[in-house]
Amino acid sequence: MSRRGPRIHDYAGGEFMLAYGDTSGPQLLVLQPLFEEMNRCRVLIASICRTLADDSIGCWLPDLPGTGESPRGLETIRWQEWQSAVQAAAAVVEGETGRHPAVAALRGGALLDHALAVPAWRLASTSGRSLLSDLRRSAIASGSDPAHPAGYTLSTDLAEALAAADAEASPAARTVRLATDDRPADARIEGLPLWRRPEPDFDAATAEAIARDIANWIKA
Amino acid sequence: MIIEDQLRAILRDVLGLDAARADALDADTPLFGAMPELDSMAVAGLLTEIEDRLHILIEDDEVGGEMLETFGGLVAFVKAKRGE
Repeated sequence: MSRRGPRIHDYAGGEFMLAYGDTSGPQLLVLQPLFEEMNRCRVLIASICRTLADDSIGCWLPDLPGTGESPRGLETIRWQEWQSAVQAAAAVVEGETGRHPAVAALRGGALLDHALAVPAWRLASTSGRSLLSDLRRSAIASGSDPAHPAGYTLSTDLAEALAAADAEASPAARTVRLATDDRPADARIEGLPLWRRPEPDFDAATAEAIARDIANWIKA
Repeated sequence: MIIEDQLRAILRDVLGLDAARADALDADTPLFGAMPELDSMAVAGLLTEIEDRLHILIEDDEVGGEMLETFGGLVAFVKAKRGE
């Protein structure tokens, strides 16, 4: 259990990544939701990673440049840097474990999983346009400047790339949605959309259902 | 499921309301400005979730005012959008 972690790793020249679990089994690079949804899902994702680590699946959790523990400001980040960062994170996993990681992407994280030519598991993937709508609407509802919604200032390059970004169709991807979401999916699980909660919240049953599906998929 | 119940389920999921509070939502229940969970970030998520689950598109200039004032206002807005 001493390897359960989390351990802190550096990637892409000073960016922050947590690692959970053994390095000798299957390895999973976890791409987190974007913007406010990332904060709302912190506890959920940490729980999923611990569960998978206990199941001998190594999990790697990069904070993209300009997000989470990154030393850089979001307003300086270009879309290409996020794609490069995903590749740099995967390279660290390969260097540390000698294995190519599979990818599990949640929500907006799925907009970046094609940066790696590896099998991808996706939860409730969403379009960049929908994420931008959330940011803009939150600004409208709070009466603040729609150009600086909820403290998230995006570079023009990032905003334009997001507006056009959607999860890329891939036969190697397994798309999972919640039972309450009737859009196309390979599987549906019972769970709560914790990425919508205004305050970070946790639901053990949701976390277990997600971890179970990822574990079955990565071991298949 | 009727629209009222679908909206109760969405509010429960999005705001983390317990079942009793969600069930008690009626036409006169005040929402934005009265329900502490429903801040501006939550409004954004609520509207996107409504779009995704009820298959409507909400324009920016439709956000606010009566549609968020009460549960009945939200129900009326969604029904009008769906042509019901």
